[in-house]
Amino acid sequence: MKTKLLTLAAGLMTATALATVPAKADVKIGLIGGVSGPIAAMAPAMIDAAQLAVQQVNEQGGIGDGEKLVGVVGDSACNPQGGTDAATKAVNIEGVAGIVGPHCSGAVLAAAGSVTIPAGVTLVTPSGTSPEITNLEDNDSVFRTVPSDDYQGRALARTLKDMGYGKVAVAYLNNDYGTGLANAFKTEYVDALGGEITQFAAHEEGKASYRSNLAELAKGGADTLVIFDYGDGTGLTILRQALENGFFEKFVGGDGMKSDAVINELGAENLANFVSSSPVGEKSDSLDIFNEAFKGVGGDPDAIFANTSYDAAFLLALALEKTGGKKEGVGAALREVSNGEGEAIRPGEWQKAKELIAAGTAIDYKGAAGDHNFDAKGDVPGTFALFEVGADGFEVVSEMN
Amino acid sequence: MEFLGLVNYALFMAIFIAIYALLALGLNIQWGFAGLFNAGIAGFFAVGAYTSAILTTEAVDGRIGGFDLHFVIGWIGAMIAAALVAWPIGKICLRFRSDYLAIASIGIAEIIRLVIKSEPALTNGARGIPGIPRPMSDIGYMESQVAYLIIVLAVLIAAYVLVERQFNAPWGRMMRAIRDNEDAAKAMGKDVEFRRLEAFIFGAALMGLGGALFAHFNRSITPEAIDPMVATFLVWIMLILGGSGNNRGAILGAAVVWIIWSVSEIATDRLPHEYAIQAKYIRLFLIGLMLQLVLRFRPEGLLPEPLRGDQRSAKGGADH
Repeated sequence: MKTKLLTLAAGLMTATALATVPAKADVKIGLIGGVSGPIAAMAPAMIDAAQLAVQQVNEQGGIGDGEKLVGVVGDSACNPQGGTDAATKAVNIEGVAGIVGPHCSGAVLAAAGSVTIPAGVTLVTPSGTSPEITNLEDNDSVFRTVPSDDYQGRALARTLKDMGYGKVAVAYLNNDYGTGLANAFKTEYVDALGGEITQFAAHEEGKASYRSNLAELAKGGADTLVIFDYGDGTGLTILRQALENGFFEKFVGGDGMKSDAVINELGAENLANFVSSSPVGEKSDSLDIFNEAFKGVGGDPDAIFANTSYDAAFLLALALEKTGGKKEGVGAALREVSNGEGEAIRPGEWQKAKELIAAGTAIDYKGAAGDHNFDAKGDVPGTFALFEVGADGFEVVSEMN
Repeated sequence: MEFLGLVNYALFMAIFIAIYALLALGLNIQWGFAGLFNAGIAGFFAVGAYTSAILTTEAVDGRIGGFDLHFVIGWIGAMIAAALVAWPIGKICLRFRSDYLAIASIGIAEIIRLVIKSEPALTNGARGIPGIPRPMSDIGYMESQVAYLIIVLAVLIAAYVLVERQFNAPWGRMMRAIRDNEDAAKAMGKDVEFRRLEAFIFGAALMGLGGALFAHFNRSITPEAIDPMVATFLVWIMLILGGSGNNRGAILGAAVVWIIWSVSEIATDRLPHEYAIQAKYIRLFLIGLMLQLVLRFRPEGLLPEPLRGDQRSAKGGADH
């Protein structure tokens, strides 16, 4: 038994050493996400969206002199141990020139702190929304295509006030996503705009019943419940139980709630009073182009963070085209391809972008999830829209300011 | 993949193995020496990590901290904090026998995790504490990993030597006597409750130190790191696989399990795309299966506990 196990371990190490034959013509990017773990339901769509970008790049000419772009998938399991492990393997074993991911903010902080910042590899996270990522000392190597929770929470507060919502109750998931959104919402809604939040309560994920939480939330007399949670998971349970028990009349969700699972489980007819916010591109035809392309490969375009994942991968590819497939200078190149000046590039227009870069013309990527004009810290301000449930999925109600 | 990449990966694995070996050593004091089934490793890991983070980071609005002390003080503080937290827990829970102690300690670990997640004034809540200083981080990537590995190995070796000496010392023999035959030990006048508490606290202090080392390596600590899967379950498997009651076994178990955990992903990534993704879910299953196989076919682990103590001293004693 002892020798068997030791041989197994030794065998695995040799297999790694021997089996990796570097194909010199490949440019690799890491796609690190929470494939196993708490966000296992959301991760496959995000990785598929990133792979769609990779596929489009390869179909339309590849990187540089026709080198193939390869997306190497790694599993961060949504915790720092897995995040650093996957990032180390991607940077050292696979030799990636850039990383899309990790998906969870804790894994982003850990991977950046221990691997990518020291190794000088650029990291673009499509769903790490913690405000702590802004303050990382990263030598300009950590970016995100999703706005920090601060922006979305405040924008939602302003929109609700404009639309005339009165007293609200806020239920948020007790993780960095929910807490960040809820605190930003509260600061704007109450302190800046003078609105009233009757109850403000965190809840843990994965419980079978939230009736006691909902009863507590309903106590203040508000008729609107704002839910900052995931429509694929706990948020769905809360919404369903609120509807079943008649706790509130109107419901508002953050971008996590804008998910097909909500419509499929609860039925569009029951969601007449449900709206949710989500980041969108300023010229929303970018979003339409992405939706069509993603549906074309069998993906669900409404999947959470699918558009930000696609944008992260496509942007990284554009930056790599600029640096010629090398990992040095990707950070600066990312800014150059998306800073608001230059010929507009929409999702999927890889060949056009290649020609323009070769000719030395400036380009500006307009993404499916926003224009991604990175600020000094690598954040994007984000534009949002409010969505309601229509006959055919989510439809835009209004832009959010 | 270049040679340098392999070296960096090996260094990274070595650091993680050393940190987890510290946790396994702490668990060995509790389980191998004293027979206490502590399923709340994650709790002490968290206390150590967060204490060190609070002591060594700069001041931030709305959270206690700003002491900005040297990392060594942070690590010592982590050990003391974990020991202090272990004391009331031990006093209350250690009177339970094994399964009940397991349930109680799981509960305690979850309480600690939820408190950490929900107290922004103490731990910045779900956002975690970033910006933790790492010793020798200014030099290059590989060099800083080497430097950190040396520091962690020094700590591990110091802990191992101290614990291993105790194994054959009167204290170690007394602990094992209490573990194996409590009534006889009591009849000989040993204060069983106090000794159990002692072992629990020492083990917890080592676990706190492991947590602090982990937090400083990643330069941040977030509640997701206190996931019971990677902070409790994995350490248990390492100890049982390596050999409970044997300190070298704890370190060996950490090495074997972590290598299988990490390298299996590289091997399965060679498969076609769909299977590669599914194989990532199977990794968890594989570790659980390994535990079942070990318990079925070789419950004493890879390196069994040396029942007669150190063989050299036994032979030396027989010579006269």
